[in-house]
Amino acid sequence: MASLSHFTTACWKNLQGDRMNKQLFFILRALHKSAASEASGISAAGEEAMPDRLITPVADVGEKTRIMTLKEMPGPSTLSNLVEFIWRDGFSRIHEIQMEHRKKFGKIFKSRFGPQLVVSVADRDLVAEVLRAEGVAPQRANMESWKEYRDMIGSSTGLISAEGEDWLKMRSVLRQLIMRPRDVAVFSDDVNKVVDDLIKRVCILRTQEPDGATVHNVNDLFFKYAMEGVAAILYESRLGCLENEIPQETQDYITALHLMFSSFKTTMYAGAIPKWLRPVIPKPWEEFCLSWDGLFKFSRLHVDKRLAEIEAQLERGEDVKGGLLTHLLINKEMTMEEIYANLTEMLLAGVDTTSFTLSWASYLLARHPRVQQQIFMEVKRTLGPGAVATADDVPRLPLIRGLVKETLRLFPVLPGNGRITQDDLVVGGYFIPKGTQLALCHYSTSFEEENFADASDFRPDRWIRKDSTDRVDNFGSIPFGYGIRSCIGKRVAELEMHLALTRLIQKFQICMCPRTADVKAKTHGLLCPAAPIHLQFIDREI
Amino acid sequence: MAFVTALRRLAHVRLREYSWRTAAVTSGAWLTSQRSFTSSSPSLRSDNKVTINFVNRDGEKITVKGSPGDSLLDIVINEDLDFDGFGACEGTLACSTCHLIFDEDTYKSLGPVTDEEMDMLDLAYGLTDTSRLGCQICLTKSLEGVVARVPESVADIRQSKDESS
Repeated sequence: MASLSHFTTACWKNLQGDRMNKQLFFILRALHKSAASEASGISAAGEEAMPDRLITPVADVGEKTRIMTLKEMPGPSTLSNLVEFIWRDGFSRIHEIQMEHRKKFGKIFKSRFGPQLVVSVADRDLVAEVLRAEGVAPQRANMESWKEYRDMIGSSTGLISAEGEDWLKMRSVLRQLIMRPRDVAVFSDDVNKVVDDLIKRVCILRTQEPDGATVHNVNDLFFKYAMEGVAAILYESRLGCLENEIPQETQDYITALHLMFSSFKTTMYAGAIPKWLRPVIPKPWEEFCLSWDGLFKFSRLHVDKRLAEIEAQLERGEDVKGGLLTHLLINKEMTMEEIYANLTEMLLAGVDTTSFTLSWASYLLARHPRVQQQIFMEVKRTLGPGAVATADDVPRLPLIRGLVKETLRLFPVLPGNGRITQDDLVVGGYFIPKGTQLALCHYSTSFEEENFADASDFRPDRWIRKDSTDRVDNFGSIPFGYGIRSCIGKRVAELEMHLALTRLIQKFQICMCPRTADVKAKTHGLLCPAAPIHLQFIDREI
Repeated sequence: MAFVTALRRLAHVRLREYSWRTAAVTSGAWLTSQRSFTSSSPSLRSDNKVTINFVNRDGEKITVKGSPGDSLLDIVINEDLDFDGFGACEGTLACSTCHLIFDEDTYKSLGPVTDEEMDMLDLAYGLTDTSRLGCQICLTKSLEGVVARVPESVADIRQSKDESS
């Protein structure tokens, strides 16, 4: 759910720009970053500087004991990386490059993005080792620019942008509210109301088409569903995203969110331009701030609205009832600024991630009618005609769970996640100094034959267990991450997807629209469809 | 910040009445979740307590008592047992560090495993057929004398050890 904060952030910050600016920017960033890198311990010198004690062979491991240095680690040359990313627009193919590099350089390799060294870990077991060795407050990537904006407006950081103790404090509060499956199950009815509107919306949209069946660019629909769903939980209020007329304030938010993503190329390197250069190249930082202004404004609006309601209820001497936001406002475990910041970041992180996954899931169902039929039969058998599923029914719908897992395996929203090492580590036989940016290559591990037989096939049933001791060693596909800094919205997102997909499958036969051919994935911060997906939704006979 | 001030002023008067519990009771689940972390309340009589035997990573047996309803993770926390890295996510099913191993008969008596627990167990280090997550096991009287083994620690890749060892 941490939509922007995976390792590509670091790369974007370094290099991404429109074509005109690319080279200039690269140089600027290099200048700026050298100081920052030293501070965070990522320095060119780090490659050679290895403590003497580490060169000594470890006694009990026999022959291949010498710990290698980063200098010995294979990887693309700085020049070829430069060509790949700048002239061949590698950023949109970052997931494919991950696979190519895995084949070429092995389980662990290093890449340079200007002065920024990134060590890619592209092996299930090594990813597991790294994540299992985490301390109490793992760090994902450099979030300086996010923090700077928050400092500027006097706001707090949130779960994505905060680090260390600040992060841990907020995480401790929030995880007690929205991480346990049973805590999230209570939102079933709220989410189902949003699913009702999604279904209605599908029916309205398809009547506008000559064939009476097609919905254009399903991601647009799922974007609205995801936003409505996550806001229903976070703000305890409905936004009207799925209505014919979207309220202005909601529309403003969508605009701000689109600005954040569409101007990704400029906004993401906003923080990368040194402050003294901002008067000369002001646009990235301005757009970055403008997007955040819009996102924060929306959060404040909704949080303040709920606060006013609570206040009025208290004045009238009524019981205050509510969900997540009410709890946060009444319990005061976080400051108001922390509440604003976290709701802003959680909403941001919970929209595109969920909508892309729903788009891919529908696309895959349409591409594989037999699988769709199999899942439909399970839903029909389990729920009976017309029954609306809740979280309690999901355990009896293993193929629905399998569908979400399999979709995220084939199209992991975050093709790679980042970690900045908090200790000196030895991974895959290499010494990796503290402060190194790691990229955990989830995309490539998801496609390893060793991890998943017939890896490129869409097979939701590969996730079904024969019994409770049947194990799937699934570190190969951990789309929500693992451990203390894994996605805090995992259970909310799962609930939204399970309930929406169950109802869609119950209600419609989802088919390919003749105009939609093969849709490939591209990376734009997140792994997203490279072309619009148009699908037909045909009523099932009841 | 006028809103906050206003709310604080109002809430101050009725703080106890409108504590988070009001919200939690309404939404159903938070009371339960909160309870599992404030379970050191001495309200239960001691004869109701259940004895648990943990076997730590050195093979040492540690016998403690817990109240019915507590999870095994609660007990590790309440008793301040020093199992390195245990229960990192505070029982929110985001990790598998509270992994415990039981004998087969005990395992069978522990009740059903949810899908979410199974998914997390898949990611546990040193997994066995009789593994469970401590945060998901609630004490009952029938678990009197239960033995729960803390599995071997993850091969530590921090600092100077070779990961391949």
